[in-house]
Amino acid sequence: MIETGQILLVLALAAPLAAVMLVPIVGQPLRILPWAAAPGLAAALTLPGMSVELPMFVLGLTIQLDRTGAMFLGYGSLVWCLAGAYARHSMANADRAPAFCLFWLLTLAGALGTFVAADVVSFYVAFSLMSLATYGLVIHDRTASARRAGLIYIVLAVLGETLLGAAFMLAVSNAESTLFTDVHAALATSQWSNYVFAGLLVGFGIKVGLVPLHVWLPLAHPEAPTPASAVLSGIIVKAGIIGLIRILPADSLSPLWRDVLVGFGLFTAYYGVIVGLMQSDAKAILAYSTLSQMGIVFTVLVTGLGGPDAAHTINVTTLYAIHHGLAKSALFLAVGVVAICGGWAFRSVMVATALTALAIAGLPLSGGALAKLAIKDVLGEGPEAFLVALSAIGTTLLMLRFLYVLAQKCGTSTAAPAWGLVLPWAGIVFAAVTVPWMIFSELSGTSAAYALSPANIWSGLWPILLALVPAIIAIWRWPAVRLTVPQGDIVVLVEPLVRRIGERAAQASVQFSVPRVTWIAAPLGRIDAAERALRSGSTQGPILVIVVILIVAVLAS
Amino acid sequence: MNGLMPILVLSTSLVPALVIFFLDESHRNARTAINIGGALAKLALVALMLEGVARDVVYETRLPLLPGLDLLLRVDALALLFLTLSAFLWLLTTIYAISYLGDGPNLSRFFGFFSLCVAATTGIALSGTLITFFIFYELLTLSTWPLVVHHGDAQSMAAGRRYLGYTLCGSVALLLGIVWLESLTRPIEFTVQGQIAHLDPTTLKIIFCMLIGGLGVKTALVPLHGWLPAAMVAPAPVSALLHAVAVVKAGAFGVIRIIYDVYGTPLVHELSVGLPLAALASFTIIYGSIRALQQSDIKRRLAFSTVSQVSYIVLGASIYGPVATIGGLVHLVHQGLMKITLFFCAGALAERLHIHKVEEIDGVGRTMPWTAAAFTIAALGMIGVPPIAGFISKWYLGVGGVQAGQLWIVLVLAGSSLLNAMYFLPLIYRAWFVRGPAARTLTIEGSAWLIAPAVVTALASLAVGALAGLAFSPLNWATLIVERNYAP
Repeated sequence: MIETGQILLVLALAAPLAAVMLVPIVGQPLRILPWAAAPGLAAALTLPGMSVELPMFVLGLTIQLDRTGAMFLGYGSLVWCLAGAYARHSMANADRAPAFCLFWLLTLAGALGTFVAADVVSFYVAFSLMSLATYGLVIHDRTASARRAGLIYIVLAVLGETLLGAAFMLAVSNAESTLFTDVHAALATSQWSNYVFAGLLVGFGIKVGLVPLHVWLPLAHPEAPTPASAVLSGIIVKAGIIGLIRILPADSLSPLWRDVLVGFGLFTAYYGVIVGLMQSDAKAILAYSTLSQMGIVFTVLVTGLGGPDAAHTINVTTLYAIHHGLAKSALFLAVGVVAICGGWAFRSVMVATALTALAIAGLPLSGGALAKLAIKDVLGEGPEAFLVALSAIGTTLLMLRFLYVLAQKCGTSTAAPAWGLVLPWAGIVFAAVTVPWMIFSELSGTSAAYALSPANIWSGLWPILLALVPAIIAIWRWPAVRLTVPQGDIVVLVEPLVRRIGERAAQASVQFSVPRVTWIAAPLGRIDAAERALRSGSTQGPILVIVVILIVAVLAS
Repeated sequence: MNGLMPILVLSTSLVPALVIFFLDESHRNARTAINIGGALAKLALVALMLEGVARDVVYETRLPLLPGLDLLLRVDALALLFLTLSAFLWLLTTIYAISYLGDGPNLSRFFGFFSLCVAATTGIALSGTLITFFIFYELLTLSTWPLVVHHGDAQSMAAGRRYLGYTLCGSVALLLGIVWLESLTRPIEFTVQGQIAHLDPTTLKIIFCMLIGGLGVKTALVPLHGWLPAAMVAPAPVSALLHAVAVVKAGAFGVIRIIYDVYGTPLVHELSVGLPLAALASFTIIYGSIRALQQSDIKRRLAFSTVSQVSYIVLGASIYGPVATIGGLVHLVHQGLMKITLFFCAGALAERLHIHKVEEIDGVGRTMPWTAAAFTIAALGMIGVPPIAGFISKWYLGVGGVQAGQLWIVLVLAGSSLLNAMYFLPLIYRAWFVRGPAARTLTIEGSAWLIAPAVVTALASLAVGALAGLAFSPLNWATLIVERNYAP
């Protein structure tokens, strides 16, 4: 029978879904948001190892709190709760609060679902729910730029979903069950593993922002309301990471594939930094930093998962992802907090934010330093290890750039800040500092004392010190240097073309002469004309029927 | 009692049809009562038989038609799959139609043929022999024509002519095929396996083409689909029934019967006619989607979507393997639920707000939230978003296709999903995220009887997917059919 613990685990997902029903009924649905992820947090803390099978739902769902799942669920629920508390105040006077709550809760349920799904179908259900509901958060403001970001997001999200679905179908076709463990085992012998791999790569690559599939990310993350940006960058990209952790058939990869993928990861890591440095919007800088960091995580995953110690790789990736999730959501919230603080409050917020930001670059004693330390032994001694270490310089620069832009946003109010916004932010900052220390030994297999050794402190410190040199020069000597790249970078190159193709394809039935992009529209127009000709009389149809059947029959014989 | 059951089920729609024909136009309440009463009675009988067939009970009625030619009505698991769908949707469509048509003209004629059409569908489901099937199949053609031309204007009449032209030619092909086949052996019963395996393969292939070609007209396989988009000039309840249950499904159901019960999968595989049919179905899936994308009229878009979606059933049937078969069978029900929701919604939008074009749907989420929500669920289901019904079908078709070694089927499904997204998501976007004309601000959803059927079917499409593991879910029923009869 079902135990109480299992009920709590089911509630982690069922509670936010049930809360969706409450949104139209209750007077102030924003009040639900801080509590929606509370069962998830409770389940993560109290029920490690628990699993539940729900055979009546869909094709049979299994949810499970293995170590990775519990860790992700725990930090994810925490961020959802605190960001929800932030949203409760920041969205209080916003338009369409009920719609915001609706999409928030659906996204939440989906995101937490991806963390605890133990089988392919559960994962796909949760992943789709999350991907589609996120759209409502991205276009919440209904401005032209939000709609554009939303369009680019949904196009890529649907493409990713479809490819993932196809990859999953291929992957389960020779597996004993849809459980990840079985599917993973079956992939090792599957003749389709290359196709599966390609589908997974694009599907998850879109979610984590692997260049060149990243274009939606720097547009959508900043466009959403601040608390939504925080969960987008802090949690939702991690759904892609956990997907890779669960199913990536890295052990059946050829060395060439592996090198290519490491290349993609490293390229993303550096690309995010370089393009991010050319941004002038604080949230856009953070979004580019997210994709850069996910590039590093991706590199670690493809390097380690194929090796002998896949379990260790998963653990350290989890640590890295959790720290990044906490720190990045704190930084996004800081953008909102800074704007309402002046005077002493502004200065204290900036100091805390500076520490959080530099933690991402691996500031010694921070959670980020622990994360960077943990991934080191997976990367080994090769060139990728060096390049990842070197990327910390870029990250530091990017974070300094962020702090510089953020400082311009200083609010004027010297009154006491709105605690409803400050406290949730402070809570996440606190978590970003403490949580990595709490889970470090368990996930990295080394003691905290090891992290405090002088050698390791130095390895965290030198990239930051090195980065200070160009940063100081840039601020004092060349304030006028401005190289800007539009948000979403390469999307501006392909967007007009895609848009035109779409319009033409849709209009092809109306007109024959199509000025540009004729190669796609003209055949479509011809199809329409052919059908029109068929439709013009009532006699042709029947004749056609007979002719077709005769032809087929003759061919068949 | 068991022998009487098929007759009883048939009469729950046949008797109301005959009574309503002779009812005066003004007896609105009586007509409503008879309609709803018949539909409820049928649903109750179907529920009884579902339980019985699950326990392996056989309900069979044999009436001698001519010497040596029996009219056989037989309830097996496959028949019930189709029957349950039609009984459930008939009830909802009747409720919807009563509200939709209101006090319009010629309602006795309309509802009479409406019930007759459902009686024909029931007969098709229950048919135990090829000849019985053909008789009801033709009854369906004739009883739907007055529904298509119900408005009586020039456009309707033209659509009606085209409809008859196409379907009668299909019927000729079908009849010739049946006669040829039965002249070589004896009257074909669906339950008897291996009746034709000894015949000449070439003859069998030609007959297969004639049978499938004849059925392909109603199934709207490209290039025999021309009548379907035209027939959407009919009133919305008719379109709903035609697209979801009656006509196209009768064709698809016939294809399933031919493949599994007349030829049998091993023979179809041996003759290697399955793969070309799968290819034709795939082509229809993609072609229908592309055509749907080009339509700016909502009902026309839905009509081409039907062309595409019904071929999923044919695709599932023509792939050699149990999993894909389950996918095809279950899509018979799933597509019905989703598509009828879409047509109910399109009809409600046209009726309440005079919305016919895609561009006019802006902001409907605010004015008609229930309708827009139902439409959204069904459209997402069509795209294949889990856990809605369409996902289950696609999953089984895809996995089944791969297991049969046909990797390209996954590509077809993925392409179809993308195209579905391209023509459904803009509608959802416009309904919820674009502000509509200022004149439309109040909630004017109006009569619950017009809206509730769509909401019920939308919830049903969600439930059959989300709760597919329940004992009597369409998925489990389809699995039961395959385990019992068709496991190759």
